[in-house]
This record gives sequence, structure tokens and C-alpha cells, in this order.
Amino acid sequence: MKFIKDHIMFILPLVAILLGIEFFLVFDRMTASYEQRLRDGYSMLVVSKEPMTLQELQSINSNIGKSTKIEKNEILKEVSLGQNPQDTQEILNALPNFYIIKLAKYLDTSALDNLEKDLMASKKIKRVETFGNSYSSNYKLFSFIKFILKVFIIFMSVVSLFLVIKQMEVWGYVHRERMQVMEIFGAPIMLRSGILFKVAIVDALISTSIIVLFFLYLKYQLAGISEVDALMNNSELLFQPSDAFILLACAIVIVIISVYIVVFSSREKEA
Amino acid sequence: MANVVIQASDLTLAYNNGKNEIIKNANFSIKKGEFVFITGPSGSGKSTLLKSFYGHIKPTHGSLMVGGLDLAKISNSKLQELRTHMGIVFQDYKLVNEWTVAKNVVLPLMIAGYSIDMQHTQAQRLLRHVKLSEYANMYPYELSGGEQQRVGIARALAKNPMLILADEPTGNLDEYSSNVIWDLMENACQQLETTVVVVTHRIPTVFSLQYRHFIIENKGVYEVH
Ligand SMILES: Nc1ncnc2c1ncn2[C@@H]1O[C@H](COP(=O)(O)OP(=O)(O)OP(=O)(O)O)[C@@H](O)[C@H]1O
Ligand SMILES: [Mg+2]
Repeated sequence: MKFIKDHIMFILPLVAILLGIEFFLVFDRMTASYEQRLRDGYSMLVVSKEPMTLQELQSINSNIGKSTKIEKNEILKEVSLGQNPQDTQEILNALPNFYIIKLAKYLDTSALDNLEKDLMASKKIKRVETFGNSYSSNYKLFSFIKFILKVFIIFMSVVSLFLVIKQMEVWGYVHRERMQVMEIFGAPIMLRSGILFKVAIVDALISTSIIVLFFLYLKYQLAGISEVDALMNNSELLFQPSDAFILLACAIVIVIISVYIVVFSSREKEA
Repeated sequence: MANVVIQASDLTLAYNNGKNEIIKNANFSIKKGEFVFITGPSGSGKSTLLKSFYGHIKPTHGSLMVGGLDLAKISNSKLQELRTHMGIVFQDYKLVNEWTVAKNVVLPLMIAGYSIDMQHTQAQRLLRHVKLSEYANMYPYELSGGEQQRVGIARALAKNPMLILADEPTGNLDEYSSNVIWDLMENACQQLETTVVVVTHRIPTVFSLQYRHFIIENKGVYEVH
């Protein structure tokens, strides 16, 4: 019974830390995908006198990721219905070049303004028109939530880490006598702390499994019935197989550090 | 010289970073196969001296050679290795309560990396030697004090150590149990040529004056003839 209690006291804070890490991973992915959608939905129309290559445009501002030329013929088709071919040719010659520009990465409002200014400053460019939802208001809220979440996760992790070490100290107390007897008989440190390591690694595995199972459940069961759009549409972001490895690695690093703290604090003191 | 197991030269032992001197400038040597008693008043430093023999307390001055190694300068790994050639017996037994008697007895063999089979056969041999064969699968807290100390002796003897160090090994035992313990230690000394150093406040009457006897007084270590 005491054995189980000791383990739970260790597993719980470890689970809390892993939960924090997993939340962080999930939120990071959600943010990334949100940014990508914003970026993809955003475009600029650039009108220039002379033809411009992508390189030329990028030399004006490196945040430009892609440019697509709108064929003049396509435009003409729309406007020249019923006109005579000679007029059409004249219009064709008079028409400037149109480019649709996509961004290379997510930009905030001021960077977007700069981009627009840079383009307008070019002598070749006559007009710049932007389309797509406004970046700023949504995104600022999002960034703020992201920041708050980070602070919360770090705070939670620190508190949990203290609990882990606290429990390790209790263990250290329980195991101290045995480890000291073994040390007096010349046992190397790995042998002395072997049992602690075994127990701690088992606990790390248990904690990781709890989180993995919880998030898998969330991904495949809860997200579907939650009726929360953000969850339903992004369920693939909720948990990814690589997360399991990250969590396990974190858990093992935490327990190894904790075990070392116990092992070294229980060494026979040189009086 | 190879016959000398413990050699103290101007040995000084102290607590609190040298401020509290317990033993000062002691000179003595103990040879292979000798049985040595250390006595002295309470608080005179008997346990302190014994702890220095297994490197638990380092000399603050002078040198202390044990098994040819200077404990004043020894590295941790060398000390670890040296300890595997010692058997230490405590007044409070210091058995591991979550281990069976058999497992406690073979701790030195486990440390030396013996196979489980070997450990098992040796456990039987050792427990037979201290007449505790039926207790193999019990736990130390289920044994009487005298029985626990026999387990302690069996553990100390497990790897035929070159040196047995005992601090008041019979301190908590009645006369009958004490005599059993003394017999076992005398046996080890006589049959295996193990060096035995015993700290006690009273030399048992079963021993005649055949053994060496050091007394600690006013920080000095003197031999009684
Ligand atoms: N860890 C320690 N730190 C500081 N002083 C200590 C420590 N251990 C012992 N002492 C002091 O060293 C002196 C000698 O102690 P030690 O335990 O060696 O005596 P002893 O001869 O074994 O006594 P006893 O017969 O009562 O067991 C005592 O005055 C004691 O207070
Ligand atoms: Mg003492």
C-alpha cells in the first residue's frame, strides 16, 4: 500500500509536467497551422509597367515567397468581348503587368506595411492592392493566449519538479540505509542506486503512457463528439507519434536527474 | 612489510575540519592474522579509530596504510575496491531489512558480481556456518539480536576478507549470544588467517591474554602488554 502511495506521489507530478509539455507541443502546432492558414489566405496584387521576375520582386523585399503572373489574355477575354481585334491588340499593349504575390512567412502588421511601402517605392510598380483577412486582431489575441499558456506551463512544471524532488527525498530516506550499507561494503554507485533507477524508469514509462493514452483518447474520441470546431477540425494536431518519444525522453531525463540528486545526497558523509 | 595490514604513523583523526581532535599522533601496526582488541572509555574515540580503518574518516595528519594503500590520499574508486576486501560488523547489525537473510549474507558476493547460483550456494554454506540455515528466507526484523548479529558475521565472512572490523559486535547481546559471536570471529582468525580488529568496552572473559590489546587514552593509542 505504501509502495503504491510512494509511486503515485511520484507519478502525479511527473504526469503534470508531461501534460504541460504535451499542451505546449499541441499549442505550438496549432499556432503554426493557424499562421500558415493566415499566410496562405493572404495575397497582394502588384501592378507594374514592365514584366518583373520573382527575383526582382524578392530583391525589393525578401518576404515575398511566390509570384504568379496573371496572363493579359485572360484579362482581355473578360473586357474585349465584341471589340474588334485591332482594338484588342492596342488594349493588350497598353495593359500593365499583374502579379499575385504570396508571402514567404507569416508577417505581422507592421512588416506587411513595410512590404507594401517597399513595393510602392519601386519605380516599376504602379499599384499594390492587398486581399485577405486582417492579420492583426485575431492574431494578437492568439499570441497573447500563447504567451499566457507558456507562462502557466513553466510555472506548473517548476512546481511539479519540486514535488518530484520532494518525493525523491522521501525515497532517498527509505533507501538511504541500504545504500549506505552497500557503500560500506564497496558497492559502486550504479549498484547502490540500481533499484532506484529501475523504479524511477518504470514510473517514467507509466507517466508517459498515461499522457499518451489521454491524448489519443482526446484525439480519436473526445474531439469528435466535443462539437468544438477548433478541436474537430484540428484533431490531427492533437497528438502525433513523435510526441510520445519527446515525452518519454523528458520523463527519463527528469527521473535520472532526480535519482542522482537522491544518490548523491545519501552518500556517507565524511564526518 | 607485506605482512602488515594496518600501519598508522603519526595518525591524527579529528572532527569539524580538524578543530575537534580525537586521536593524536598515534603509531601502531597490525599484522596479517592478528586478533586485536581496542578498548577505552566511552567517548575516547574507539569507533572513530575503527571508522578510519575503512576510510569513513580520513586522517587529518600523518598516514594510515591499510592493505598497502594510504587512506589519507586514496581515491574513491580505490577505497571502494579496498572495502570489498573487508568485512565490517556493527553493534546495530546494519542489515538490510527489505532483503531476506540469505540475500543480506551474500551482499559482498553480489557486489563482486557472483552469479545468482553461486550466491545461492554460498548463502547456504555461510548460514550453515553461523547455524542459521533455517532462517534463509526470513527477514532480519524477524530474528533476535543474537541471530541478526550472526547474519552480520556471516556477511562479513562471505568473501574471505583480509580484514574484519567490528565495533562493539556484542554490545546488545547477552552472554550466551556474545560467546557465539566471539567464537565465530576467533575461528575466522585462526582458520582463515583473517586479521580481526574488535572495538569493545570490555574484553570477554573467554579470551585469555593471548591477543593484542590497544587502549585509547587522552587521544593516544597504547598497547597493553
Ligand atoms: N560525526 C561526528 N561529528 C563530530 N564529533 C563526533 C562525531 N562522532 C563522534 N564524535 C565525537 O568524537 C568523540 C569520540 O567518539 P567515538 O564514537 O569514537 O567514541 P567511542 O570511544 O566509540 O565511544 P563509545 O564507547 O561510547 O561508543 C566523542 O567525543 C564524540 O562526541
Ligand atoms: Mg563507539
